[in-house]
Amino acid sequence: MNESMSLTIILPLLGALLAAAWPRRGVFIGITAVLLSGLAVGWLWFSLLADGPSHQALGGWDPGLGIRLQVDALSILMLSMTALVALAVSVYASHYFTRRSQAERFWPLWLLMIAALNGLFLAGDLFNLYVTLELLSLSAVALTALGGKRAGIAAALRYLMIGLLGSMGYLAGVALLYSAFGTLDMQQVAAQTGDDPVSQAALIVMTAGLLLKSALFPLHFWLPPAHSNAPAPVSAGLSALVVKAGFYLVLRLWTEVFPDTLSTQGVTLVAVLGGGAILWGSWQALQAERLKLLAAYSTVAQLGYLFVALALFMSAPPGVARELLFGALVLMALTHAFAKSSLFLAIGVIQHRAGHDRIAELDGTAQRLPATTFAIALAGVALIGLPPSGAFLGKWRLLYSAISLDQWLLVVVIGIGSLLAAAYVFRVLGHAFGRSALSVQAIHSVHEEWPALLLALTATLLLGFGSAWIWPFLEHMA
Amino acid sequence: MPDAATLYGLLGIVLAGLGAHAAIVQRDSIRRLLAINVMGVGVFLVLIATAYFGPNQDPDPIPHALVLTGIVVAVAATALALALLRAFERSDDE
Amino acid sequence: MKAGALLYLDLIMVILMLVLAIGALHARSLRHAVILFIVFGLVVALAWARLRAPDIALAEAAIGSGLAGALLLAALRDRRPGDDATRRAPVWQSVAVGGLVTALVVLLAWAFLEVQGGRANEPLANIVQATLHESGVSNPVTAVLLNFRAYDTLLELTVLLAALLGVMSLGPQRSPMRAAEPMAAGLIGWLIPLLILAGGYLLWVGAHAPGGAFQAGALLAAAAVLAHLGGRREFQLPGHTRLRLLAVAGCAVFTLVGVSTLLGSGVLLQLPSDWAGGLILLIELFATASIATALFLVYLGGHPPSWNSREVHPDA
Repeated sequence: MNESMSLTIILPLLGALLAAAWPRRGVFIGITAVLLSGLAVGWLWFSLLADGPSHQALGGWDPGLGIRLQVDALSILMLSMTALVALAVSVYASHYFTRRSQAERFWPLWLLMIAALNGLFLAGDLFNLYVTLELLSLSAVALTALGGKRAGIAAALRYLMIGLLGSMGYLAGVALLYSAFGTLDMQQVAAQTGDDPVSQAALIVMTAGLLLKSALFPLHFWLPPAHSNAPAPVSAGLSALVVKAGFYLVLRLWTEVFPDTLSTQGVTLVAVLGGGAILWGSWQALQAERLKLLAAYSTVAQLGYLFVALALFMSAPPGVARELLFGALVLMALTHAFAKSSLFLAIGVIQHRAGHDRIAELDGTAQRLPATTFAIALAGVALIGLPPSGAFLGKWRLLYSAISLDQWLLVVVIGIGSLLAAAYVFRVLGHAFGRSALSVQAIHSVHEEWPALLLALTATLLLGFGSAWIWPFLEHMA
Repeated sequence: MPDAATLYGLLGIVLAGLGAHAAIVQRDSIRRLLAINVMGVGVFLVLIATAYFGPNQDPDPIPHALVLTGIVVAVAATALALALLRAFERSDDE
Repeated sequence: MKAGALLYLDLIMVILMLVLAIGALHARSLRHAVILFIVFGLVVALAWARLRAPDIALAEAAIGSGLAGALLLAALRDRRPGDDATRRAPVWQSVAVGGLVTALVVLLAWAFLEVQGGRANEPLANIVQATLHESGVSNPVTAVLLNFRAYDTLLELTVLLAALLGVMSLGPQRSPMRAAEPMAAGLIGWLIPLLILAGGYLLWVGAHAPGGAFQAGALLAAAAVLAHLGGRREFQLPGHTRLRLLAVAGCAVFTLVGVSTLLGSGVLLQLPSDWAGGLILLIELFATASIATALFLVYLGGHPPSWNSREVHPDA
């Protein structure tokens, strides 16, 4: 049954339309729509496990003439990540907005963002991906500006401009591919790409556009202001999910559409940029004075790990090591999504209660907000890559592969990055456990503290102890 | 002698380049927006040139549909960007 | 001989577009840049007509150049005179970026010229022609937009809605309106019925000739903008809630058609070929209304001034 594929997109879309038409019931509509689209993802799991990877020609037209949706192990993992993170963030958001008008504006845009993400992870058509990317970027930008503060609006404007520039680059590549191969269907294009100038030119402009959108160093400059000035639930969604969209597309394009086009120089360049992202992002996170800025720079660094892993994967010879790397890469992406959304929600709790997020003035947080502090600590474990988090398994494989491929420089970079990550996490915890009592109100609202804690537990325990199946799953369902 | 498709396609690529350059180099938001829109026209020209098979043959309708979609998406993004710009400038006064 | 004359015409168009684009990108005065951009859009519309893309020519003139131009001019007017709009990157950066972009342009142009040797996309155009009779309409562009690639168009309407929601969430804007002078107001009185008629016509012919929901919606939005500019008392805006519903309706009807096909056949947006024509017209009808509402509201900055006085918005 392939209805579930369309439902994961249609249900949040319907929810968004309802929430836009009936803003007063935003919370109810929003939570229901997120739950239902999560159930659709669950249904999709069943059909994937029963029938294997499949695709659906929308409208009943043959791919090429029509548009194809497709699902495999990678896309279902991304969909599940989106569903779970979105659910936790939605529960948090249902009590976050103090002004009703803000809440009413949040839900339709939030649901559109989820619909766009789900559509993107299922898309099998290059132009459809362009429209999905624009839907994602416009809803994300509007959400960024939701706080109404000057800094947030400025960051949203810049975010939008960068996004538009990036998607135009992507679209230029699509136009070229269509002119050469006469189709937009990813599989049909993939069958024709090779070492020719058309494939190379398209690959270069599309990748460049997507790297800009996914904020790979040094194209990351727009990300920290946008992620650190948005309302907490939005920051969580942006940093955990939206940045993954660009990375996911680069991954798909490189591995499936242009497997024979990619040059070693290109891969090396991305590895170098990824290494730069790890060092620069971690260093800036350590320098940050505000928690949200720290979290945002940490995302810059974590994206660096993902791109380094991708580059290693592309350059690894076929075999077991390569399979191991792919699983590691996916696991790191998943762990980061849960850990980072948890961190942003926890910061939101602190900001709500203490009225600020200045790291130097956090002393006493641990006494007043024990669950939140615990969530930060757990998320920190995952961000550093300590056991038992999923990131530990991922990084371990990454290091192992880097060593076996004689990439010693990468080993050093990953080591330094982890030390810096430990430093910035412990800097926060050091203040949180400080003795001086901060005038933080104690809280008893379950909705406020639990989402962050559950997300952090998922990142650290569930994805650490319970993730061994990911490797065989990715191998059989590709 | 180049045919019309080649001529307009190349023009599209040059316009996309000019737009991309200005979008990066200019600092003013409205100018950047103009630049991105010019870039869009360039990309659209490539698509429509691809669809053109000469004066006596029907063009390929698929790129036409794509470009129509692209134009609406571009105007939607432009509208949002201008609204953000106004909101930003208004926040100056407060 | 005829081909030669056409080539001269093409060369003139190409040079004109290049000059206008460079002007729009680098004119010293921002105002001139915007005006050059609008003129550029009009010439581009001619180029679309030249390349046998009348649907796009209409859309470009109405939306790409017309509405975007109106939005840009309105934004420009609200700027304070002191705003520095000539700031740009230092020369070395400009040159470096120029070098990089030139390299990309050369690469793309080379690839594009390679393609021109043997183009592959005729087969798909042939498939569209061969399948056209199953689509419910006879204008191939409408068939692609509302049947073959209907999912794209649904998402495109959603993008427009997302932009509108974004604009509305930024709160009431300064009014972009300035009442027209009496003579212009008289002219506007003539124009509005014409635009509405033209919009209805475009929507109807879209099934078998150039036109369709987007062009029609843009014309209706233009009529509404003009009516507002003319300050016509008899033109009363619907209330907040009704406009909101109208803006959502296009997307909603489209989605509901999608859901019913999903329930009926298990395939999203698989229109039964007997019904396809009617369903497409239904979708287009509501899409036109939504597009017109969305474009009009966006032009007003999300919140018509009358809302603040007539209705109590949660924020007011």
